[in-house]
Amino acid sequence: MRSVLGWLMVLAVVAVSAVAVGVVIGATRYRRRLVAELSEVIGRRGVRVPARLHDQVQLINRLATEADERTAAARATEERLRGVLEGFPPAVLLVDPAGEVREANREGERLLSGRHGDVLVMDAVRSLLPTVGAASDPHVSGHVDLAGPPRRNLAIDIRYLADGDRLVIVEDITERRRLEEVRRDFVANISHELKTPIGAIALLAETMCDEDDPALLGRLSDRVHREALRVGSTIDDLLLLSRLESAAPSPVQQVPVSSVIGEAVDRVRTAADARGVTLRVEQADASLTVPGDRGQCVSAVCNLLDNAVKYSDGGAVVTVRAAASDGSVVIDVVDTGIGIPARDLERVFERFYRVDRARSRSTGGTGLGLAIVRHVAHNHGGTVAVSSREGEGSTFSLCLPVAGPSVSA
Amino acid sequence: MADEMRKTFHKDLDEIRHDLVRMSVMATEMTTLAAEALLGGDLELCQAIIDDDDEVDVLSISIEDRCFRLLALQGPMAADLRTLAASMRVNSDLERSADLAVNIVKGARRIYGQEIPPRVRGIITMMSGEAVRMIRLAMDAYSEVNGPLGAALHDIDDRLDQLQVEFVEAMFEAHGAEALPLQPAIQLALIARYFERIGDHAVNIGERVSFMASGEQPEHPGAARLRARRGEPAAVEPAPAG
Repeated sequence: MRSVLGWLMVLAVVAVSAVAVGVVIGATRYRRRLVAELSEVIGRRGVRVPARLHDQVQLINRLATEADERTAAARATEERLRGVLEGFPPAVLLVDPAGEVREANREGERLLSGRHGDVLVMDAVRSLLPTVGAASDPHVSGHVDLAGPPRRNLAIDIRYLADGDRLVIVEDITERRRLEEVRRDFVANISHELKTPIGAIALLAETMCDEDDPALLGRLSDRVHREALRVGSTIDDLLLLSRLESAAPSPVQQVPVSSVIGEAVDRVRTAADARGVTLRVEQADASLTVPGDRGQCVSAVCNLLDNAVKYSDGGAVVTVRAAASDGSVVIDVVDTGIGIPARDLERVFERFYRVDRARSRSTGGTGLGLAIVRHVAHNHGGTVAVSSREGEGSTFSLCLPVAGPSVSA
Repeated sequence: MADEMRKTFHKDLDEIRHDLVRMSVMATEMTTLAAEALLGGDLELCQAIIDDDDEVDVLSISIEDRCFRLLALQGPMAADLRTLAASMRVNSDLERSADLAVNIVKGARRIYGQEIPPRVRGIITMMSGEAVRMIRLAMDAYSEVNGPLGAALHDIDDRLDQLQVEFVEAMFEAHGAEALPLQPAIQLALIARYFERIGDHAVNIGERVSFMASGEQPEHPGAARLRARRGEPAAVEPAPAG
């Protein structure tokens, strides 16, 4: 009995050992396969593979954490780039080879929504798209001009990208066009304004050399005098303008608005009387003051009044109004004259800009008056604006902040 | 199969709608440029506008053709039918508006060289701006199927009518002051009428949009007067919207 029990025990021990050996062998195989797989995973990362399983697991843990961090960083970068794209003023579209729009920034979405003039812009983009390609032209540009209103000039730029997509950029170049025009016109105008009277003086003087009729000589010298005065005042205004532009800070004092208006009105009174134009001053609060340069303020108001008188018919009334409004003093000069065409409104403050060349010679201004007004307003941290309807008159508003120029500087 | 056909129907209808918006932009651009050509005495621009109208005509014919095709082949019903019917009317209103811009520049060519009095110029600028604004509002209403906006165009048109009255007054004034001879005065009066007519077409489009949205035909004052004369009862309620 005992021996049977003993045998049984021996048998059990052997069986258990056999199972244990089997388990150990299986585990070792499994472990070896695991190590091989882990090594392969790690190896793909281009990192040296550690020998011990424990180290391998730790390494994988680290790699996973790093990957998480990289993904987060990539997402942050993507968001930042998207922010840049959204804030980018031109419309940006990414178009795939089938012609479908894959990405668009906010301006691009607006363009795609196809309201009003945008429809024509998208038409132009679609007609340009097929011309861009790896084989043909990798970079194509075009432009669309819209009459509006408001008038808009748009530049289209399409580039072929390496992955077959095309990048479309549509930029509003209205302002750039306008500035180019201003610059071009200024150069043409300044030479015209200076050369015309000087040419006239030269011709008149030449005629005088061969003349001895005193009556004719008198008439000719009178003309020479007039033309010389004309150049003189143009040059004076140009010098004043360049002084204003250099913007050397002039001593700031509290300037009473009523005295500025009073002096300006006195200066244009003669011209107004000659044309039969009545000047009316409306100022509710006589104690208004603005910090600034008195002389500049007077010359600004004087220029506005001078224009108002020049472009009014006899019997008309020119009103100058001053009132405090929202931290500023606003001086309005209101006339009921011929008015300014809408297309010229934003250009009248340019140097030498003339709405009507034929008429400007007879009114005899230098063409710099409103440019001077704008610079005075700017130097005082203020603005000048105009509203006008052709045939019904214009209102120029000079707005000077009570806080003085330092605020905007 | 049926679903597939519906899908192409709506795709075709969307294309028609898109082309109508495109045509409206062409018409408003032509209107703005026509005012510029008139005020600036720009004969080249006049010719360019006349040429542009050919493109509008081609587009209009193509839209009409597609509308008929959809109508005949797909037999649309309810809202789809109304949209299609309204689009055909909008098509002809826009085509006429572009023609009116051409009429304006043809008038401008006839009075070439004539100085236009400042007040008259001012009103022309405003009339052109107002006509363009109305077409845009009408097309916004059409694109969004915004019935109330469509119906509101009738009231918005008052401004353009008022401008035309002012225009005629300014013409009498200028003619009285011998600043404007009779012949150009008559041409200018016609031109003002053309701008005003563009506004009327915008009102028509608005009416079509409110029909599109509600299925109710706009009330015709003439029809109401006729019924009143004949002693018939007031208008029957229109068919309910489908």
